Amino acid sequence: MDALTAALKVAASGLGAQSERLRVVSENLANAQSTGTAPGADPYRRKTISFVAELDRSSGGSLVEVNSIDRDPSPFPVEFQPGNEAADDRGYVKMPNVNVLVEMADMTEANRSYEANLQVIKQARDLISMTIDLMRNQ
Amino acid sequence: MEPVNLFDLASRQADWLAVRQSAVAGNIANANTPGYTANDVEPFEKVLDRATVSLAATQSGHLGFGVSDAAFAVKPQDYDGAIMPSRNTVVLEDELMKAGEVRRSFELNTAIVKAFHSMMMMATKG
Repeated sequence: MDALTAALKVAASGLGAQSERLRVVSENLANAQSTGTAPGADPYRRKTISFVAELDRSSGGSLVEVNSIDRDPSPFPVEFQPGNEAADDRGYVKMPNVNVLVEMADMTEANRSYEANLQVIKQARDLISMTIDLMRNQ
Repeated sequence: MEPVNLFDLASRQADWLAVRQSAVAGNIANANTPGYTANDVEPFEKVLDRATVSLAATQSGHLGFGVSDAAFAVKPQDYDGAIMPSRNTVVLEDELMKAGEVRRSFELNTAIVKAFHSMMMMATKG
């Protein structure tokens, strides 16, 4: 495979990985208040995502793939809400272990990386059209 | 035939630049991958210096790289910055600088080929 096409493919894999990361962030944010339904039940557990580099044999470029989507094992914070259906016998409710600030920072980073990958795609496209322009008769 | 084999040289440089662009793309795509080490292509001067002895991939089942990549070695680059907890050595700013370099060189390269080509056309058409 031509190296510029390989660059496009690699950058596209980067876009895919970052948008998957954005999906995980939005799941966490959407469920930041999702408590359990039975008394003392566990609430939503924060999801984490990790990436892995994968060598593309046909082009020699290193693609990026989603390695795994795991659960954050950190403990749940508890809040005193006796009226909640998930409250235990002392009136405490386990809240999801989602920190909105951490999710926001993660979202910004995913955004930046997505932009960088887009920049690479733009540039590879420009290089290809520069090459094609050689054939234009002047 | 020609004193300077310009077309050959120019297409080799264009090949090298394309491989470098693909290395930069790999680094940027893996900017958030734990344990990833940034790669770069060997300098173009080195490519010119050494005689190209490399294994040819004659069948699709052969391991290794594509035909155009075989001549350029892509190596992990030296890193002297702060080591992150994730052991990732990609510096996004450096990669964008490299991408800018590739772009400028590629523009120069295609402009030279264009000029040389128009000179040859001038000579043939009269």
